[in-house]
Amino acid sequence: MFYTQLGNYSLIFSFIFSLLIFYSCFKNINNKTKQIESNIFSFLSIQLLTIFLSFICLVASFVVSDFSNETVYNNSHTTKSIFYKVSGSWGNHEGSLLLWLLVLVLFVFIFFLTSKKHPKNYRIFTIIFQQVIVIGFIFFLLTVSNPFNTLFPIPDEGLGLNPILQDPALAIHPPILYLGYVGSSIIFSSSLAALIEDYVNKNWAIHIKKWIIVSWIFLSLGIMVGSIWAYYELGWGGFWFWDAVENISLMPWFCLTALIHTIIVLEKKNHLKNWTLILSIATFTLSVSGTFLVRSGILNSVHTFANDPNRGIFILLFLFILILLSIVIYFLFHKNEKPIIKDTFLLSKETSLVVNNWFMMYFLSVVLIGTIYPIILEVLTNNKVSIGPPFYHKLLSPFLIPFLIIMAFGPKLKWIKTKFSKIKLTNLFFLIISLLISSFIISFTEMKYLFSTVLFGASFFLLFKTIEEFFIKNYNFSQKISHLAFSIFILSILINGIFSTEFSTNMKFGDEKKINDIYIKFTNLKTLNKENYKTIITSFQIKDEHGKIMNFNPEVRIYNQPEILTSEADIKSNIFSDNFLVVNLLKDDGYFNVRYQVKPFMLWIWLSVVLLTFGGILSFFRR
Amino acid sequence: MKKKFIFLIIFFIAIFNYSFAIENNTKLENKISKNLRCLVCQGQSIYDSNSDFALSVKLIIKNKLKEGKSEKEIYEFFKSKYGEWILFDPEINKKTIFLWIFPIILFVFGGYLIFRKFFIK
Repeated sequence: MFYTQLGNYSLIFSFIFSLLIFYSCFKNINNKTKQIESNIFSFLSIQLLTIFLSFICLVASFVVSDFSNETVYNNSHTTKSIFYKVSGSWGNHEGSLLLWLLVLVLFVFIFFLTSKKHPKNYRIFTIIFQQVIVIGFIFFLLTVSNPFNTLFPIPDEGLGLNPILQDPALAIHPPILYLGYVGSSIIFSSSLAALIEDYVNKNWAIHIKKWIIVSWIFLSLGIMVGSIWAYYELGWGGFWFWDAVENISLMPWFCLTALIHTIIVLEKKNHLKNWTLILSIATFTLSVSGTFLVRSGILNSVHTFANDPNRGIFILLFLFILILLSIVIYFLFHKNEKPIIKDTFLLSKETSLVVNNWFMMYFLSVVLIGTIYPIILEVLTNNKVSIGPPFYHKLLSPFLIPFLIIMAFGPKLKWIKTKFSKIKLTNLFFLIISLLISSFIISFTEMKYLFSTVLFGASFFLLFKTIEEFFIKNYNFSQKISHLAFSIFILSILINGIFSTEFSTNMKFGDEKKINDIYIKFTNLKTLNKENYKTIITSFQIKDEHGKIMNFNPEVRIYNQPEILTSEADIKSNIFSDNFLVVNLLKDDGYFNVRYQVKPFMLWIWLSVVLLTFGGILSFFRR
Repeated sequence: MKKKFIFLIIFFIAIFNYSFAIENNTKLENKISKNLRCLVCQGQSIYDSNSDFALSVKLIIKNKLKEGKSEKEIYEFFKSKYGEWILFDPEINKKTIFLWIFPIILFVFGGYLIFRKFFIK
């Protein structure tokens, strides 16, 4: 009771302070002094503290299971373990938005502290735009999704958290992802501020690059954790389904990746100012639209857990205001750049970085249209179409080939002009080797021969070239790491995609079967009662075609609050492959649906993403 | 050079490990069921679902394949029965043409912009 009240008032208090910050910032702009008035700093601190307090209060309400709080009632239960009580506080709509807000004000605060070297008005404008977003979010929370709504009479027991969300990976997935999303808000505000103050230059690029890389690191990690979760929890055995909600997190990622590359051109050559600004605005807009699409419930997705049309309309309106604001500011303040024809040539670092952006925007457009097309078509013509993995594979994979090859050469090019020398013997050697290896691999499969060989060849070629890079002395170590990681990533996905094998069959206790040279035996079955669920632990013995024997213990869990069945896969990971066994309860006649999968190089996919972000982290230590 | 060879060797070993024999019909069955949407589920494919609907669709696919129907005929069958919504792989027709060509148009347009910015004097 107490925490709920305190949290609510604290949130209202922070709203008042946000308005105060907004007002005093405007007052401060015309002020001729070079320093930001100290009261803005105090207000920002209070804003951070009040929202932090509010968030802590929500967590506390969850921990003590205060069912007078509607959010707690809807998403918690006394039998839930303390870990999921805490993580459950941001596993729901209201709580996750409060977390969003907390990260947002935290980032404003950090921005304020780390931007002291930059012009006063630029900093103030950034804070103003951030406050527009903050005020919008607090208003949204207070009006249509208040986490501190109270219930009377107080219920004895809560409704419980969706069991598939009761998972360690999903406990950390939203916070990490939000760090990425919200980081892009700083990029957005700071671009608009830099635009107004005519501060789009080298200094700004160096400053904002850090924020871009931080957002990119968190977004990459956030997507990866979500994907790992989907892999072992949803029982698809796949790690990416091109599901709408997954796509939505991928779109800002493409934008950020493009930004990382353009910002280098801006930093080193002072070109592409307008394009950088457009990308910055687009990144944040995509992040907010992501929140809108997930929360409004207009998407048909496995991830849409809670939704409410009122909220959707609010976020849509908010989004509209943000886009309008940025378009107006862009057209009022942007300057036409002087053409850069004279001093750049076809083979130069500039063009290779622009080409990266070109492809990124293509990938983005494919994912974007694939995600929103069904919605638009249904609204306009009342026809329903589904857009699934085959669509994305068909449109993305052919473009991957030139992309990978250009990526192999891009980092080697010099600024302004690179002389086109004779084709080096090593390159030819790498190309031939790559094609040989890939044609050899493809001969084991039933894939389209020529296309797959070229695609694999391009990936191997990139791998060899990125490895070769490590033998060439220059300082850009972080880029080398990230590019190497990317080539490993693509290769592992391709190999995983074509060499994954699986079968699915129905078995009951005691059964023994032989499928595709694999023996499978249902050896044991026991039922256990846990605190908030009942679990059926099954044991299987599998003898694969090499005679290797493995034991698996997949579970089926029956949660009590709410009553939902989940399957816990048993996965044996090693460096070459994952062996994945999952069972589902069929009707009550004792039969289980058993699905066994062998997924080569699964671990490499996750490790390469970690390596990719590690490259980003390294760039902070570059001289 | 040494490192490169070590990498090569690792890949070869890895690849040899995964040369499986493939049973044809089950593989096709899986492929088809992956390309069909489970209409009663939230965004799952027929393959991934164990709902009654998905189970009966799987059975239909199996029987149709036994009858010697081709993959395309099976998709057509489900499309005529449940509408395009069931197909995860949208066909190219009047309704979806924009979906397929929009990214390509954008790519060509982007290429033109880059070309104009850098190379037209």
